[in-house]
Amino acid sequence: MNRLKLIMTALLIGGATTASAQGIMGGHVTGNVQVDGQMSHADSTIGSQDVPEKLLMNARADILYTNGDFSAGLRFEMYEKPLLGFDAQYEGEGLANYFVSYNGERLSVTAGNFYEQFGSGMILRTYEDRYLGLDNSIRGLNVTLRPIDGITIKGVIGKERTYWFYSEGLVRGVDGEVNLGSLIKSLGESKFRVTLGAGFVSKYETDEVIPSSADPEYKLNLPLNVGASSVRADLGYGNWSLQAEYAYKGQDPNTINGYIYRPGQGLLLNLNYSQRGFSAGIQAKRIDNMGFKADRSQSGEMLYINYLPAITKNHTYAFLSMYPYATQVNGEQGLQGDVMYKFKKGTFLGGEYGTDLHLNSSVVYGLDTTVTGGAGTDGYEVNSGLGQLLYGDVSVEVAKKLSKAVKVTATYAYQVFNPVVENEPGSLHHNNIVVADVAWKVNKKHSLRFEAEWMGSDSHYDADDPEHNDRRAGDWVMGLVEWNIGTHWFVSASDQYAYNDGIGNYYNLSVGYTHGATRLQVGYGKQREGLLCIGGVCRVVPASNGLTFSLTTSF
Amino acid sequence: MKKIFIGLIGLLGIIGLNGCDKIEPEEYTVYDGAVVNWTDITTTVEPVQRVYVEKYTGPRCNNCPLADVTLEGIHNDKVVMVSINHPTGQGTPYPNQPDMRTTGGNEWDKYFGINAIPTAFINRDRTLQFQGDMSNIVGAINQALTEEPIVAIDLHSTLENNTVNVSAYMHFEKDYPDQVTLTVALVEDSLVYKQLLPDGSMDENYAHNHMLRKVVTSYWGTPLPIEVKKGDGLIGTLEFLLDSEFVAEHCHLVALVSDKKSRKILNCASCEIGK
Repeated sequence: MNRLKLIMTALLIGGATTASAQGIMGGHVTGNVQVDGQMSHADSTIGSQDVPEKLLMNARADILYTNGDFSAGLRFEMYEKPLLGFDAQYEGEGLANYFVSYNGERLSVTAGNFYEQFGSGMILRTYEDRYLGLDNSIRGLNVTLRPIDGITIKGVIGKERTYWFYSEGLVRGVDGEVNLGSLIKSLGESKFRVTLGAGFVSKYETDEVIPSSADPEYKLNLPLNVGASSVRADLGYGNWSLQAEYAYKGQDPNTINGYIYRPGQGLLLNLNYSQRGFSAGIQAKRIDNMGFKADRSQSGEMLYINYLPAITKNHTYAFLSMYPYATQVNGEQGLQGDVMYKFKKGTFLGGEYGTDLHLNSSVVYGLDTTVTGGAGTDGYEVNSGLGQLLYGDVSVEVAKKLSKAVKVTATYAYQVFNPVVENEPGSLHHNNIVVADVAWKVNKKHSLRFEAEWMGSDSHYDADDPEHNDRRAGDWVMGLVEWNIGTHWFVSASDQYAYNDGIGNYYNLSVGYTHGATRLQVGYGKQREGLLCIGGVCRVVPASNGLTFSLTTSF
Repeated sequence: MKKIFIGLIGLLGIIGLNGCDKIEPEEYTVYDGAVVNWTDITTTVEPVQRVYVEKYTGPRCNNCPLADVTLEGIHNDKVVMVSINHPTGQGTPYPNQPDMRTTGGNEWDKYFGINAIPTAFINRDRTLQFQGDMSNIVGAINQALTEEPIVAIDLHSTLENNTVNVSAYMHFEKDYPDQVTLTVALVEDSLVYKQLLPDGSMDENYAHNHMLRKVVTSYWGTPLPIEVKKGDGLIGTLEFLLDSEFVAEHCHLVALVSDKKSRKILNCASCEIGK
């Protein structure tokens, strides 16, 4: 592997320095660079701390060389020191990712770091999200075969990345998918769409000593090979579609589930209907002990082999996303419904430009369980009822263009949030949220965006009470103004203020400049502590107070 | 096409059936550590009191080399030293450097609640804990060496084809009311990797000594099968495979006889592998 690394480094650095953006042996070199910096100092009101290093910085550079069916790439990363909220184990710099790849019509092969997903990801998904500080790429071999049209077979083997290291556990997997419409002519010509798939993933990990909860002189007899399998179907007829996947995980005592031997199960159902101007969908999910990691003793978000899709809406407005829902890998069950409708132009509700209506609601409960033991037992039995309410929300969003220059989006949402999803004590938070968003294109060069938000909550802040020391508690208001000047500049100012039963005044000023593929943004302000969640996967964002900057460019 | 499909299903089935282990409920737990076989002896062992120094360290800890200098200065055949790589923070290895964290060391670290390094204990006595400045440890070690031994211990080993056979000879000089355990661990010297120095610079080739590589028995030791009385003697023997990554010539075995409940070390011994 080291030899491979040396060859690739020489090839890519040589290519980048001698051949400009294209032309190396007829291929192309592309890439991107991102540098994020942060300075923060103490503020007892929001709970931020001084940063001893004064300046924290995350930086990365991706370089990709492509030449026909061949490609190779590498990523340099530097964390000196990591931004607040990124794990200290990231500290350092070096070549974090490299690969060579051949992508032919019937065969694809990647050696080095790769990202892969089987089905919805319930048994295998490796991906990178720089904002979560998450990269679980596998370093190894990834082969995809397409022996005939309509059949895809994937095979993977390797170890997962965790910060600057790789898992102890070896991940092996195989997945097959058949598109029957490509194989059966009459089906391909009909309105039916049928794709079937199945996958299997196995993790091998050496033994280690985990004391039994019943008798510390005994250790757990750990399964060295842990397997997970899934079957799935993607069916469609006309405007209807149904995706279903069931996953089963064998005995996998690990630190996430408290080293119990109970097998895991997961079920995902997704039914959708869509036509021009209207779509509706309902999603159901039930998971039981489906945390599947490359290293059994690792907690946190790194080293997951699988991914359990979120069943709640990923909100973007500040107050709507203040209490994000984090997927409970040990067990949850829920439903989500989503309806979008466009009132046509010229109708009473559609007006001159039409009106978009978006309704969404989701509810997630825990499993109703009876505990039967601790580490070294089956752990618990699942009863037929619902567990405690973990999260629920309903939101209504109306977007309407009032004129060629002005568009208004209004949102109302009601949320119920259980702090237990963040492993925190306390009772349910009930929040009402209203958002008004106005975008105004003043002229060809200038545009403005105004955003006003309000959140009323039954929670309150009390620094001395562990059940009420959440700085998100209380009633809040927020205002934001964003000014875009031509294609180069933008300026924004915002403030979030807890006006009742809460604490904190979080102002932010930001200036950005874009030139071609390069963008520089500088901000100054306060960041409230909380969670950043993307797709149900979260990282803690500590409070900060100071300057931030971000530079991105691509070539 | 049918053959391909059947072949694919067959392949998945074969891999699935062989890709995971199934453990029956009655086998969820097993006895921990290398199995120690016990034999009574009537011969005595030279009653030497030694001192066990357990030091928690890390490559990103700039003050740890100062502790190394202090402790190396007092290291002799009556002072048995084990260095344990702290599992997080300053114990985190640098990129592309060897990872000296061990499961057993992590367990000990967790038990003692180590929150800063360097930290050292004498005989795992919480009242003899030293953090940062090690200047006072010398006097405490000398004081501990003056105590009369409760148990005399002598340690020997053989090495054949990567199999290490260990014999721990114990002879009790006094009655002891509580249960006693024997722990055997493997430490390695001359491990060269990056170490942060007190002036903030990096020594790329720092030689780390006495690094814990493996706890051979269970973390907290295998209980002796006797109620200890003055004059009792027994040999504990065990065997284990030496991992290929360990350099035998640089390895030592450490035997700790300790109080099962308080985990204080009553006496200890050390020997080179194969001697």
